[in-house]
Amino acid sequence: MTSPRLGHPNLGCGVGLRSVHFEHILKEQPAVDWFEVISENYVDSQGRPRHVLRQIAERYRVVLHGVSLSIGSSDPLDRDYLRKLKALAAEVNAAWVSDHLCWTGVLGKNTHDLLPVPFTEATLRHVVERIKIVQDILERPLVLENPSSYVTFAHSTMEEWEFVSRMAEEADCGLLLDVNNVYVSSFNHDLEPEEFVRSLPHERIVQFHLAGHSDYGTHLIDTHDHPVIDEVWDLYRLAHQLTGGVSTLLEWDAHIPPFAVVHAEVLKAKRFTEPETGRESSAAHAEGTSIGEPWREAALAGPLGEAPAPHPLHHIRPDVA
Amino acid sequence: MSRREPEPSAEAPALDVVQGWFQSVISHPDGVESGISADEAQALIGLGRDELERIVRRSRNLSASERIGIYANAYYARLLECLGECFPILRRVLGADLFEPIALEYLQRYPSKSYTLDRLGDRFAQFLEETRDPDAGAPPAWPEMLADLARFEHAIARVFDGPGSEGEPPFAIDAFQDLGAEELASARLLPAPSLRLLTFRFPLNDLYTAARRAGEEDELTYPLPGIEHVALCRRDFVVRRHPLTPFEHEVLAGIVGGGSVGAALAAAAGMADGEDLGPTIERSFAAWTAAGFFRGIARPEGA
Repeated sequence: MTSPRLGHPNLGCGVGLRSVHFEHILKEQPAVDWFEVISENYVDSQGRPRHVLRQIAERYRVVLHGVSLSIGSSDPLDRDYLRKLKALAAEVNAAWVSDHLCWTGVLGKNTHDLLPVPFTEATLRHVVERIKIVQDILERPLVLENPSSYVTFAHSTMEEWEFVSRMAEEADCGLLLDVNNVYVSSFNHDLEPEEFVRSLPHERIVQFHLAGHSDYGTHLIDTHDHPVIDEVWDLYRLAHQLTGGVSTLLEWDAHIPPFAVVHAEVLKAKRFTEPETGRESSAAHAEGTSIGEPWREAALAGPLGEAPAPHPLHHIRPDVA
Repeated sequence: MSRREPEPSAEAPALDVVQGWFQSVISHPDGVESGISADEAQALIGLGRDELERIVRRSRNLSASERIGIYANAYYARLLECLGECFPILRRVLGADLFEPIALEYLQRYPSKSYTLDRLGDRFAQFLEETRDPDAGAPPAWPEMLADLARFEHAIARVFDGPGSEGEPPFAIDAFQDLGAEELASARLLPAPSLRLLTFRFPLNDLYTAARRAGEEDELTYPLPGIEHVALCRRDFVVRRHPLTPFEHEVLAGIVGGGSVGAALAAAAGMADGEDLGPTIERSFAAWTAAGFFRGIARPEGA
């Protein structure tokens, strides 16, 4: 029988590593529990990004989080990518390797988006088979995240939480529960986010993601450019209660504030998980000032631009003299 | 667990079919409606007007078309933003209003086929050459400058994240002093893995510097045509730009090509215009060594 969370420890409250924070982290060595890094930014790097990652991995626990595995695609798996991913995971002693339940492209193309799969028996068989292949290549369990989605397919025969639950059991993989994505997808698909969270196999949840999103009135978009909203904190508290607490990570990918602001945002999670403060209302916490006020003001000003690009959009700008 | 029933009229297209269809629709440059009615999508899933809900459900607030539109809007928005980050100077020179239509056309002709966005711009310079405006005048003209600028920025990005010499003991100029003149002439210098030699049809290095420093509203002065040689080399994980004279470029090209020092100098000698090359060569090799252009020296056999 698989051990809870595949034996992975609760690493505490972590932050998604972004290149704008490289200097601060190397110089100040902030007291962060752990970092999650975007695998694709480092798998091919032979320059500064990889050098920085090596230094960070010497001091902090690191988890690899990918955006291009494309586990749900009908295209063949990219074994070259997987080989490099395995090498990188070994090099930085990654606590685990995660990606998304999605597809990113077919016919050799990559849209660089996390596209939704139809929730059918055929898709389930396809995804489970590919997870097993990936796990064989990586020689470790894979952890998969529920992405935010904006469409559902008419021929789906089950809800996402049933698909995810059966996928995790049949493939014997872990789950990365993105609480914000549950909220975003549930709003977009007229579903009940609490039912989603309650219906999952909680012992398989290895990690939580938290992030902000943009509210367009008729739909939500997972832009990772805002603080976490109260309703998502409430879902997080429920997920924490149901799982007993797992590694928690905050993602902030656009209009990224200073590192201290991002770190302070994820540390709010401790106020929901520690017994003496867990009973307080999330609204009271959300009014706190742990996020710098100018950043809060800017972030809450609303969606920027007319055509927001949901994450992932990751590119490290070269240092050039 | 709740079980979702498929729509009564819902077919169950194979996964590869629905994915090919979806990708085709969201990447159509003219939007979702055009994407659905385009031949590529129709060949996979033939849908009449108002039949979209056979494939994608509507939500309480949005139609099926509006929901797919979220992915369609994001597809080009994301990639245009990324391409702009890959070519910030070119985007600055062109301005967003000109850059984006060009980039949009590029993304249609050369969609990403890599798992990493770092390779998104691999063929952008080539694309700019291929789509040269015939009314721009005889080359070298404005289109050649844009293509060369794209090549410059792409080379900088590749050098930044490519192999380097950091961590290796530095190669010092002293290594030359152990060699006699004949030995030096027949020795081969091993170029650093990050060393790149570039030749442009416009002097772009100063434009690059000026554009990086300029504010959004500042006007840039564009150069007149003229050959420029630049070496790129990475030291301490930072890409450094080194303008080269034609003579220096020729010498370095010989060395990078695997020729001996003597052969490289001899090949370049014709470009020296009769000047005394001794001091120039000494100064150049000292500067190149300090800049990390070389990682070692291969002495001739028996030396």
